[in-house]
Amino acid sequence: MAKLLKIRELKIDIPKEAKALAEQMLSDLEKSKRPVLEAVKTSLDNSFYEPKIGYLTPGDKVVRTELNVSSVQKLARVVFILEIMLRNLDIGAVNTKRELYYICKGLIKGEKNLKPLDFEDQVESDAIIDFIGDMLRVYREELNCFANDRGGQTYSQNLIVTETLLDGSKAVIDLSTLGTAPFQPKNKPQSLKLKIKKKLDFCLVIESEGTANTLQSMGFTKRNNCILIGAGGVPSNGVRGWCKLIQEQIDIPIYFFGDLDAYTMQNIFRTLKAGSASSLIRNADFSAPSVRFLGVLPDDVKKYDLPYYNVKESDPSEQRSLKKAKDAIENDPFFQDKKNKGLTDILRWLLKEKIRCEQQSLFSVDPKDPIKMEKIILEKIKRGSYV
Amino acid sequence: MSKITKSSTAEYFAKNLQQVGFSSPLKAVLTTLKEAVDNSLDACEQNGILPELSVEIKKVGNGSSRNTDLIQIVVEDNGPGIEPDDLAKVFGEYLASSKFGRGQCSRGQQGIGISAATTWAQLTNAKGAFVTTKTKKMRKAIHGQVDVDIKSNVGVLRNKETIDWNKDHGVKVSFKIDGRIQLNGDGGLITYLEGTVLVNPHLTLHYKLMDADWVHVERVTDTVPSVPEATLPHPHTFKLGEFITHATLFGKISLRKFLKTGFSRVSEQAISQFIEKGLPKNLLEKPITTLGDADFKKAFQAVQDSPLMAPSTKSVLTVGEESLSKSIQRLGEIDFFSVATRRPSICDFKPVVVEVALARFMNRGEGDTPVQLLRFANRVPLQFDKSGCAITRAIESVNWKTYGLQQPKNSLPLGPYVFAVSVVSPFIKFKNASKETIDASDELVDEIRRALIQAGQRLSRHIKKEFKEADLERKLQHIEQFGPILVEALVRITKSNDSRKKRAEEGLKKLLGRDSKDAEEELKIAESRLAEQKAKHAHIFGEEAAESEGSSEDEGEVNESPKKSKANAPKKKANKK
Repeated sequence: MAKLLKIRELKIDIPKEAKALAEQMLSDLEKSKRPVLEAVKTSLDNSFYEPKIGYLTPGDKVVRTELNVSSVQKLARVVFILEIMLRNLDIGAVNTKRELYYICKGLIKGEKNLKPLDFEDQVESDAIIDFIGDMLRVYREELNCFANDRGGQTYSQNLIVTETLLDGSKAVIDLSTLGTAPFQPKNKPQSLKLKIKKKLDFCLVIESEGTANTLQSMGFTKRNNCILIGAGGVPSNGVRGWCKLIQEQIDIPIYFFGDLDAYTMQNIFRTLKAGSASSLIRNADFSAPSVRFLGVLPDDVKKYDLPYYNVKESDPSEQRSLKKAKDAIENDPFFQDKKNKGLTDILRWLLKEKIRCEQQSLFSVDPKDPIKMEKIILEKIKRGSYV
Repeated sequence: MSKITKSSTAEYFAKNLQQVGFSSPLKAVLTTLKEAVDNSLDACEQNGILPELSVEIKKVGNGSSRNTDLIQIVVEDNGPGIEPDDLAKVFGEYLASSKFGRGQCSRGQQGIGISAATTWAQLTNAKGAFVTTKTKKMRKAIHGQVDVDIKSNVGVLRNKETIDWNKDHGVKVSFKIDGRIQLNGDGGLITYLEGTVLVNPHLTLHYKLMDADWVHVERVTDTVPSVPEATLPHPHTFKLGEFITHATLFGKISLRKFLKTGFSRVSEQAISQFIEKGLPKNLLEKPITTLGDADFKKAFQAVQDSPLMAPSTKSVLTVGEESLSKSIQRLGEIDFFSVATRRPSICDFKPVVVEVALARFMNRGEGDTPVQLLRFANRVPLQFDKSGCAITRAIESVNWKTYGLQQPKNSLPLGPYVFAVSVVSPFIKFKNASKETIDASDELVDEIRRALIQAGQRLSRHIKKEFKEADLERKLQHIEQFGPILVEALVRITKSNDSRKKRAEEGLKKLLGRDSKDAEEELKIAESRLAEQKAKHAHIFGEEAAESEGSSEDEGEVNESPKKSKANAPKKKANKK
């Protein structure tokens, strides 16, 4: 099987590194010394934000797993899955996490003495897979484990994507020829090369894929020289890598338009712009620091008299996200940095006002005009009404 | 204007039987049984007789009302018997009680229950209670049918006959009523009988429910609990209206005498305090019959404003930790249990004592269902409306996770446990006349909570030991299971030879062996703590525990099941009669 395309220039040789690790563990055991595995601690308290870099990077903290009666199960599982992944790398096979879960189950079923390793559900095997990635400091895609390509439907009349296929041949996709169908970016966007037919003005990422489709149906990309993307909620690795690629290869402003609430600000927009604490080692390739928050802004609610809801404090999920917003202001290095003061101010405003306003509320401004949303968005871009 | 009529007490209850426990066919059966058993036990206790009761409940036909069966309930006791002249009164007249408002911890209080059962039988089957009675003095027994004359609230004895009865003394009562039978669950008959067995260690009970075999449960103590003397009410528990009504019971005596003889804790010194708090001195010597409402109010307020000694706690009785420990083993095979009897204390100016027994059974309950809760008020099981009860509130307020039990937030803990909580007080405040729920005052909930915490701490000793055992076993298992897998995978990845494999395996064993040694040590500590606990409370658990070594400042008594000692095996057995 052909070798997969590299996502980035890796400084380490994964099989070699993994073998060295196994060697170290084995030799420790021979000496009755407790082997230790260390992985990057992927949490907010180990996240750093440097405005010049633009995304969250890991600090020095590590999770140490030393062999003892309690951790022997985890270590056995790590080595077990590592062996499967090394084999995949060797033969060029790829899998999703769920498939790996079933591969494990299959192997365990076949051998009686492996039975104690069995995973009760996928959460358990996922945790081990993530640990291996954090331990080797590699993306799981680099271990040939891919996620589902969710979200990121893209429209443009002037964008051409060239994809390098497994066999080295190239596929050229002119987005203007796809009719009403969107282009769906892969979660390994590094295999894609972008070309533009003429200079583009901007890229617009809409939180709701449905609303992005509406804009497209009403001719948004025909009238505007742009790229239009539907994020589909919390951006997947595919969407994050795709936006990063657009930022790198086509130098245009990228705007994000979504709901005005604490969840969108922290979980969706922050992840798109600077990555997340749980994916610290991969934020470099999976975040687009130049993306800006076009709305809904607190000022828009007033200016366009948008309908909004009061946040129900009795609703556990809404209460959670308010609490998270408070935590974010206090502890999240991204929101603490003065470069992002405008965004933090929005969070503060949300905490104070306790309201939420959805992106679709723009349709209430002039209900009889089907392209009123487009008009408002363009006007906002022109006015510089974004953060 | 419509004519105002006066109805008799019997008429009132006949129309409102739902208020006294006859609100559904299911409850009717249970309440009838309960009233009969309560009366038997009270009678035995008051006469120093060790009770031996026989209960038989069966379906004898279809009920007269829709969706009901005709159920026969027979309760026979070895009590003192009822004088023939009193038969009609006891079973057929409301509020004819030997216990009304006496301030004693008896099961029955007002004299409503058994008359209500007679009324229900009469309403649904046109026949009241069939009673056989014999006192020590009688050569032959008297048998007859008692009905309630509802218009006049008088009991009527019909078909009276003299019969031979092979028994020195006792009462046998039989009701045929419309009802339905539920055996298990909160409102079940078995739950009631087991509860009764638990808090009456001196009771021998034989019962046969429906088609099942006779079950015989032997008593585990030969001591009849002595019901303490009645106590006078404490003035601080009164409201003005009650105060005035209370006064009418005393006839033409002076206010001073009324205060001193009608209440507890009113001394001469207290009276001087009342005067300080505004009680006009001249009122004291006036006969209470001449006092107006305004005078009573003055006196009442002065009494309420004065600090008084808390009421005496001598009027409450307890089952006792020792008896409770023996009794709980009659409910089935037990893994382990803990009991706690609090000292009598004062809640809302009423003496009260709380006892708790927590037990884990081997063959009842499941891990993820709430514990079975047995509530008792004056040793009577409470089986309905548990959510509003002071006992339930108290259990939910304890953090059982601390003691090793699972517990969803603000709920009963989970697991195959029975939680039995008994509240005894001469003045229990119920939420309703059917006495199903104890009113949850803050003070009472707190007192129950304290008892639960005490029992919980004791229980946790055992759970901890069990946890450590499981921990050690898990650790040993881990070493055996995962060790070889880890080494083999490492050998494969590094393509190493057999001798390296062997060395690594030995190294691993050495490492993990050290860990399991630690776990063994922890288990030893937990075991010795439990042994110390048992030794300290050997008087409760017999010789087996006394043999354990050591003693320490432990918190109470937990014991393992006597399953290991055959001599103590549960005394519940079933055989065909």
